[in-house]
Amino acid sequence: MIALFSLILTICLYWGAKWCYKRKPKVYLSPLLTVPVLVVGGLFLTHTSYEAYDAGAHWLSRMLEPATIAFAVPLYKYFNILKKHAAEIILSVLSGSVTAIISSMAMAKMLHLNTEIVDSLIPRSVTTPIAMGVSESIGGVPAITAVFVIMTGLLGSVIGPMIIQLLRIENDIARGVLLGTAAHGAGTSKAFEFGSVTGTISSLSMIMAALITLFLTPWILPIMLIFF
Amino acid sequence: MVMFLKSIVQIILLCAFSLGMNQLVNWLDLPIPGSILGMFILFILLQTKIIRLEWIELGANWLLAELLLFFIPAAVGIIKYKNVLIDDGLYVTLVIVLSTAVVMACTGLTAKKIAERKEQRHLS
Repeated sequence: MIALFSLILTICLYWGAKWCYKRKPKVYLSPLLTVPVLVVGGLFLTHTSYEAYDAGAHWLSRMLEPATIAFAVPLYKYFNILKKHAAEIILSVLSGSVTAIISSMAMAKMLHLNTEIVDSLIPRSVTTPIAMGVSESIGGVPAITAVFVIMTGLLGSVIGPMIIQLLRIENDIARGVLLGTAAHGAGTSKAFEFGSVTGTISSLSMIMAALITLFLTPWILPIMLIFF
Repeated sequence: MVMFLKSIVQIILLCAFSLGMNQLVNWLDLPIPGSILGMFILFILLQTKIIRLEWIELGANWLLAELLLFFIPAAVGIIKYKNVLIDDGLYVTLVIVLSTAVVMACTGLTAKKIAERKEQRHLS
């Protein structure tokens, strides 16, 4: 009963939040911020556990898998643009992903966060399913990583446009690569607000960043551990 | 109405495809998630015209447009770890903000540099 109610409530709140965001596209009205805040508030007030909520809501999380597969469609439609810009996309995603792994770990270690948190932070910049997998394989806590991934997405969609303005990045390709590499799906959502080319480049960058992080993290970590 | 029904059928097809891919990854014991493998396979099927774009485009666009909805339960999961956030929340946020800014600057500038160099070569 609670399960079904949680599912329907989340969808309705999301619709409402999306409607508000369309009228007033401010960061603090992003559905990814407003809906979780309302749901968390609701759970506290009604003394409902997260497990009871997630029994229904996890069906939404499961939809991330077909949604990831759906990225094949823009990939197919814009394949010519991608081929034309393959060099800058591959090289920049590679540099960005390596920077993400190294900087997350170095900063977290410098602030003396405990090892579990550090390991959970390392894959935070890539899409949830991959980030959770990497987190588990290096000794982090996948569920905590999921939260860090969301925080990265949310903060990234705020910082992204600021960086774009600050560094005067006017090129559609560069904008897309920047948002997709650093802020996965949420960044890609933002990138589609810039235009469909930027959005598509961002989706591709997000996928490449996920693959690079998946394969490079086990190689980079031992080298990093020499310094920390 | 027809569009709506079409979208629903296409989403169901994509979900079924996704389940099949998870099975395949399990069965072959591959180190990547089923969704990533599925994306590559679907892309190849589209390229080779085995699957036509019209069969899945509406459903795929709908899934992509509502992407944020699917992240919400994980974001609510934050309440399970409120101790982590109370103890380390400030530092964690600091790491995420600074690191994300550095990653963005690095990625964006690399792409910009390469694009500019390419343009120059075209002009000369």
